Amino acid sequence: MENATISYIQLLREDLAIFRVVPEGPFPDYKAGQFLTLGMPVKSENNRIINRAYSIASNPENKKYFEFVIRWVRKPYPGRLTTAMFNAKEGDSIHWRKANGTLTINDKLPNGEPDTRRIVCIGGGTGLAPFVSMAQHLHEIGDKREIIVLHGASYVDELSYRERLTDLELESIDRGTDKWNFKYRAAISRPQEWLNRSWTGQVGRVENFLRARPGRVSALEELTGEKITKDNTMFYICGWQGTIDGTLEYLGNNEFVTERNKREDGSYEVKFESYG
Amino acid sequence: MGMAEEIVTTQTYEKLCSDVLYSHESVRFVGLVNNKSDLLHSVQKQELDPLLDEDEIKISINYSLERWRKAQNLSFRLGNEKLTLTEYDNVTLISIPYDGKLLLISTQPTVHYHDVIQSIISAIPPWEK
Repeated sequence: MENATISYIQLLREDLAIFRVVPEGPFPDYKAGQFLTLGMPVKSENNRIINRAYSIASNPENKKYFEFVIRWVRKPYPGRLTTAMFNAKEGDSIHWRKANGTLTINDKLPNGEPDTRRIVCIGGGTGLAPFVSMAQHLHEIGDKREIIVLHGASYVDELSYRERLTDLELESIDRGTDKWNFKYRAAISRPQEWLNRSWTGQVGRVENFLRARPGRVSALEELTGEKITKDNTMFYICGWQGTIDGTLEYLGNNEFVTERNKREDGSYEVKFESYG
Repeated sequence: MGMAEEIVTTQTYEKLCSDVLYSHESVRFVGLVNNKSDLLHSVQKQELDPLLDEDEIKISINYSLERWRKAQNLSFRLGNEKLTLTEYDNVTLISIPYDGKLLLISTQPTVHYHDVIQSIISAIPPWEK
């Protein structure tokens, strides 16, 4: 494994934080949407190095640091490496192994033509991370496709990149969607809780954006202004298996096909990565 | 949950809250909340003026749930939380985890809370399987 330094820790909540990691030596190439394996010695394991993969939230054009948004899950047992990271200080050493993962943006269709379909990214919790990377990457390279990022969280203070993604949407409004076409929406699953009292946006699980409502089209179709079909939209999903299953259920009618079950001609409309 | 089951569950919550309210003369208020902050049922002694208004009750419930959730983060070492007691000048607040929910109880201040807790606990039916 290679050496690096934790350069920045921003606690968003007691159990949610943004970490930046600066590798020693030349900054490696990777693709937006990939994950990096990090490792640290863990006291309770006799200082043995414990490794774990985390999705990268920064974009490949950023050669200053890798950024991660990490949740410290503690039930039923706290993760060993994540606990070590939440106990770490800025300046501490950390190890890393090259980026990997297949949840990356498709630029071409199986027939070799450019994939110009709308990109819809659905992230549950810290499953947003690869889409923050993708959004910033597509912005950097001046991609003209329509991009919609949907984020689901239990509480408003878990909307980790709300400001950055809102700024990307505001830029889209300012510059015009012919130059940069980006939208960001979030759903809060526990709107009745006191902490969420200010929330007036979408409620429920993030996949509810895809659910048709009585007498109305889905919130996603309302946002796009047209029916979502396999020919005009490509879905990327990251989160708990429940988020993946829920999204696939709402897409329904077997029209949409996942990468794992692609058609004979190699085509598909859904790419996903689950954790937990 | 079917309607019949829902009615039985509601009756169970009502009885639980009522039994705890009248388990000791110093108990002022009893509420049962789930882990999503829904107040499933609550009762209070009518002759007493409430100390908190509606919004402040929501804040108080949020604080109790937050504290309970955080306490569970160490349960893999310390075991499950059984009871928490907070003494204020004007009231004593007791919270007791019950079947995945949280029983919130307030009592008059400066009581001998050991006796109160014994009375409250004996009014709560066992639920652990």
